[in-house]
Amino acid sequence: MTKFQRFLLKRLAISVLLTLIAVSVIFVVLRLLPGSPFEALVTSGNLNQAQIDEIRAMYGLDEPMWKQYINYLGSLLTFQFGYSILRSQPVWEVLEPRLINSLILLVPALVTTAVLSSVLGMYAGWNRGSRLEKFSIVSTTLLRSTPVFITAIFFIIVFAYNLEIVPALGMRSIRATPDGYLETFVSLDFLHHYILPFTVAVLYYSGDFLLLARNGVVEKRGSEFLKLHRAKGLSEMEQLARAGRNSMLPILTYFTLRLGMIFQGLILLEVVFSWPGIGRELVLAIQQQDYPLVQAAVFIMALAVIIANLTADVLYAYFDPTVSTNGGGSA
Amino acid sequence: MSTETKPKAELYRRVDALWTLVRDQFAFLRRDPLAFAGMLVVAAFVFLGLFGPFLAPHDPIEHTVRSDTGSVLRLSAPSLDAFFGTTAFGKDVLSQFLAGARPTLIVGLFGGLGTGALGFTVGVVSGYYGGWVDELLMRLTDLTFSLPFMPMALLLLTFVTPNIWLITAIIAGFLWKMPARVVRSEVLSVRERTFVKSARASGASDLRTMLYHVAPNVLPIGFLYTAYGVAWAIAAQASLAFLGFGDPTMTSWGRMLRQVFASGNIRVAWWWVLPPAIGIAAITTSVFLIGRAYEEVINPEIQTDQ
Amino acid sequence: MTLLNVEDLKVTYATDDETIHAVNDVSFSIDEGVNYGLAGESGSGKSTVAEALLGLLPGNGTVERGTIEFNGTDLMSLSDAERRDILWEDIAYIPQSAMDSLDPVMSTGDQIAQAIHTHRNVTDAKARDRVKELFEIVGLDPDRIDEYPHEFSGGMRQRVTIAMALALEPDLIIADEPTTGLDVIVQDKIIDKILEIQERMDSSLLLITHEIGVIAETCDELSILYGGKVMEQGSVDNVLVNPTNPYTMGLKNSFPEIDESDDPVAIPGSPPNLSREPTACVFEDRCPFATDECGESHPELFDLPNRNHRSACHRVKEAAQLRRDAHDPETWNIPDDGDDDSDRGEVILETDDLEKHYEQSQTLLSKFRAEDPDYVKAVDGVSLSVRRSEVLGIAGESGCGKSTLGETMALLEDPTGGELSFDGESYEHYQNGNLQEFRRKAQIIFQDPFDSLNPRQTVRKIVGEPLTIHDYRTDETEQAIVETLEKVGLTPAEKFLDSYPHELSGGQRQRVAVAKALVLDPDFLICDEPASMLDVSLKVNLLNLLRGLADTEDIGIVYISHDLASLTQVSDRLAIMYLGRIIEEGDVDRVANRPSHPYTSSLLSAAPEKDPTADRARVLLEGEPPDPVDLPSGCAFAPRCPKAQESCWESEPAIDETGDETHRAACYFPDSDGEPAASAVDDPELPGSSNADSIGD
Repeated sequence: MTKFQRFLLKRLAISVLLTLIAVSVIFVVLRLLPGSPFEALVTSGNLNQAQIDEIRAMYGLDEPMWKQYINYLGSLLTFQFGYSILRSQPVWEVLEPRLINSLILLVPALVTTAVLSSVLGMYAGWNRGSRLEKFSIVSTTLLRSTPVFITAIFFIIVFAYNLEIVPALGMRSIRATPDGYLETFVSLDFLHHYILPFTVAVLYYSGDFLLLARNGVVEKRGSEFLKLHRAKGLSEMEQLARAGRNSMLPILTYFTLRLGMIFQGLILLEVVFSWPGIGRELVLAIQQQDYPLVQAAVFIMALAVIIANLTADVLYAYFDPTVSTNGGGSA
Repeated sequence: MSTETKPKAELYRRVDALWTLVRDQFAFLRRDPLAFAGMLVVAAFVFLGLFGPFLAPHDPIEHTVRSDTGSVLRLSAPSLDAFFGTTAFGKDVLSQFLAGARPTLIVGLFGGLGTGALGFTVGVVSGYYGGWVDELLMRLTDLTFSLPFMPMALLLLTFVTPNIWLITAIIAGFLWKMPARVVRSEVLSVRERTFVKSARASGASDLRTMLYHVAPNVLPIGFLYTAYGVAWAIAAQASLAFLGFGDPTMTSWGRMLRQVFASGNIRVAWWWVLPPAIGIAAITTSVFLIGRAYEEVINPEIQTDQ
Repeated sequence: MTLLNVEDLKVTYATDDETIHAVNDVSFSIDEGVNYGLAGESGSGKSTVAEALLGLLPGNGTVERGTIEFNGTDLMSLSDAERRDILWEDIAYIPQSAMDSLDPVMSTGDQIAQAIHTHRNVTDAKARDRVKELFEIVGLDPDRIDEYPHEFSGGMRQRVTIAMALALEPDLIIADEPTTGLDVIVQDKIIDKILEIQERMDSSLLLITHEIGVIAETCDELSILYGGKVMEQGSVDNVLVNPTNPYTMGLKNSFPEIDESDDPVAIPGSPPNLSREPTACVFEDRCPFATDECGESHPELFDLPNRNHRSACHRVKEAAQLRRDAHDPETWNIPDDGDDDSDRGEVILETDDLEKHYEQSQTLLSKFRAEDPDYVKAVDGVSLSVRRSEVLGIAGESGCGKSTLGETMALLEDPTGGELSFDGESYEHYQNGNLQEFRRKAQIIFQDPFDSLNPRQTVRKIVGEPLTIHDYRTDETEQAIVETLEKVGLTPAEKFLDSYPHELSGGQRQRVAVAKALVLDPDFLICDEPASMLDVSLKVNLLNLLRGLADTEDIGIVYISHDLASLTQVSDRLAIMYLGRIIEEGDVDRVANRPSHPYTSSLLSAAPEKDPTADRARVLLEGEPPDPVDLPSGCAFAPRCPKAQESCWESEPAIDETGDETHRAACYFPDSDGEPAASAVDDPELPGSSNADSIGD
């Protein structure tokens, strides 16, 4: 077994353990805190005792706590999320389209911003002290430090209400009744609704990538190996490319981590734009106390982070020739 | 030197040393105009947070603005009666803005300090001791990373009635992982430095080495992440309030935005949107600008021009 | 024909609050095929000159004036693109720190090929062939061209940069401290390689280094820089044999050498402040011969009649007299304490077969199978003793385990075998609850003066901390601190008490580190390469200080270093370490002058000589030390030993295999006493040179 495989195995084991613990924490929060959601459901509705018992039995609430826990673990880990209380629909049927709506908005935005901002950041770092550098840092600092819902509100006011270029809310116009994903996402109407939230997401994430890339290049700019590259007669752009290549790893890692946090990071963006994604659905579910839906959504978000963390660690170990986990290496 | 003046002189020297330390930490402010501007904004914000509620011309929630004829002024643009206009419920926006700074300050300050202090301690202990202590604490940070902050906070706040201190605690409880990781990796490199080995060789205990030799050398990064913690806490608090999970007894900027958004008035009532929105954006950006300038000073690797 | 002509070069660096005048009107020229040396201590501006030549000055550096003519073209007048064309095609560069100079995420072969592709229009396959050829020329395995820098050792990485410099057969190679940080044997091999190749290619070399010994051996001409000024220049034979400038004299005096009977003499004072353009002679404040005239202007370079030799000194005409005076330490205001070998006291520390093995991490599977783990045998059966008032030198290349030995002796690492006793008690006695007693009596000083002091403590706190920890002299803390600071030569002590480490120079910092160790009045001191990062004059200061401490304070000292020349100056006895074992040990004169073990001989012969007229035999050892995890059976040195025979592979010689009480060695076939050491070793590179050996004299 190589060192790399051993490392992989250890990381995998840790991830599985983390998933179990995270799931347990969700269970504890949902069932054991004072004023348990199911109690609230039972007491709030005008239900008679028979109906209550029926519901309790349906959700397994009449079982002892440890058995509930086992059932809960078993069902979550096999993606059997149960029935949504309010929508009376299997949870997965509710979540699946919303998950896809979220992904279709956020993944392209993240990729776009990672590429554009990193390139801009590298260029800014190379021209340290230039006006471009200062401007790009201030503007991205503003964008990344301002809570995303405020940026979103500003954009809606300016572009949707005043300039009236794009619609403010939703994913498609009310009249549109597309069938299937292809028709939904490949249409001008969708694109029209897409531009604004997409832009805000791109801008919101730009700051971190820009600064990461810029710091990486600034750091490399004074390095000895770049001096040797310069002495070899490489042109400015070739030198910048080498400096950039040497700063790629932290950016790649950061990208993976961000990808994992994508659902939780932009909940507010979805709320402001009324984008029917998983984040907005979660907020609605919490407000309406639809707990099977809540626990499934939180579980998916936690799982995404754990997988992304694992991937980032593995990518790092795999791509960095100087990290000794994949063998080789000298003093 | 007589024995009596000695403690006094010692005290003076300590105060002086402390002052020098603080002054040195902020020396970069003079050179970076952006950070300086940020400092002014922060100072204004602290002032608002402390005295805002007293400056407010009216009670932000109880008082209803009425026109001369006695009718309630709803959604009125800025006028002499209400300099910042009124809300859809006829409340004075200026008063709400002034009063709303305080919860933002409380959560920002204590959430940031809590984040910094907790993260710093965990980072130093984890990095210094290594071994199973490190493993345990780092897995704990992994866990807080994987539990999504916003949903978990929303869940907790549905069961327990939100109040400002609970919100502060929840925020610090989720954000400490950031400084903890950074401080830990910094400690890992400081720990290998010769003066730490040298302290051990002269018989210093673990506690002594950690307190006198390791901690002071990672303190700048702790400061930095405390500053970032302040900005994150403010943003988190505003976001929670915007979703309707703020302290219901206090007016805050986030809550103002929630009301204008929920009432569907962002389209018309710009005077209602702008003060809280600009307030939040200005303070978080300022804190970040100061933090970034400070980072530039303390990060030896990006100080290549010297 | 003149290849490179530098005229009145002036370079400044802009910092936040001042301008540093790093290079002030430096002129020199290099003829075709000539090896030119640029010597000076740190801060002399020598590397800045190289960077200006290559156009590699950092962003805040500016060439204020001066011309740099290369092959008749003024480099300063070229555009960036034109200049880039000359770089590497005509002027190649061997950088200072090979450890960081290679791009970590690009394979070594690609980095060389990149240099070729940038300037020549060749196919990938052709470039690859050329890279393989180059690897072979510099003595690297051509099959390794796809490996990344971290897979090579320090010496091999330097070979990669040399291969890169050769790629396009340039007219001029600029080598900036190419061997700094490398072990003496590796350094010797690299220098030899550079010379051999450069000979073959007939290019010129500009060698920048602080080691005048290296220049003496490799260069034809040189300039000596100080404070950004050329102090003396001309042919190596003239300048280094008959220096006419007091700075050169001082520099030469302070170089320790193995076979020198006089103690080296340090130049007092510290390098000049360059924040203003020099108005007086830059060396004036440290020069024992300074007159009023010297305070008024910096002297012009004066052409000595009838030879290739120029010197910038107002008193150049009295050079012969100055040279005589300069030999006397009193001239430099350093009291000549004479060679008072004080009586050595009783044994303070003794090790018997001491071992420190590190377990290699194992897979779960092999743990399950209960396989024996692999061990790194960092210290493997070392038996030594140190007496009070005695300095024991421990020499060896990096990775030989000498630092681990030092840390094990200081009980910073737990011994894994053998015995270690201190002051008559076994180490177990100290580990079982008496560690503080040991920590009070035994101190260790570490290598790096820039890192060994806590940057956030004042000198008072740093030196006073051990007193607090051990509750020693706590009623007179201040007095104890002041006394100790003055003992290590930081006078007046009050001036330093409230300084932070960053306000002190490297030499001062190392003295504070020494003071911290001495403040508890220890009985025993371990010094782990304390001088390796200091300039030569500071190094000599520190050596003299330690020597004095051993003599007057009754302390037993272990001095660990890779620098044999320093060791022979400071030690009473010398132990040579190879792969965790002591292979030779004895009185310093015997070991240095009549080494028994072939490894000792090669170490000694690898040290450069500062006298250019001395011709020394190179003993180029094959290969690098083997992996300490998987040692060969028998003598560990056998794979590299030129004299190894069958029996060497069969069993390992003990330390007392040969010799007596005062000098023993672990070798079956020792160089016999009295015979010139290296002559028995055939040198394939320089046939016929072995008779000119100077070590045995």
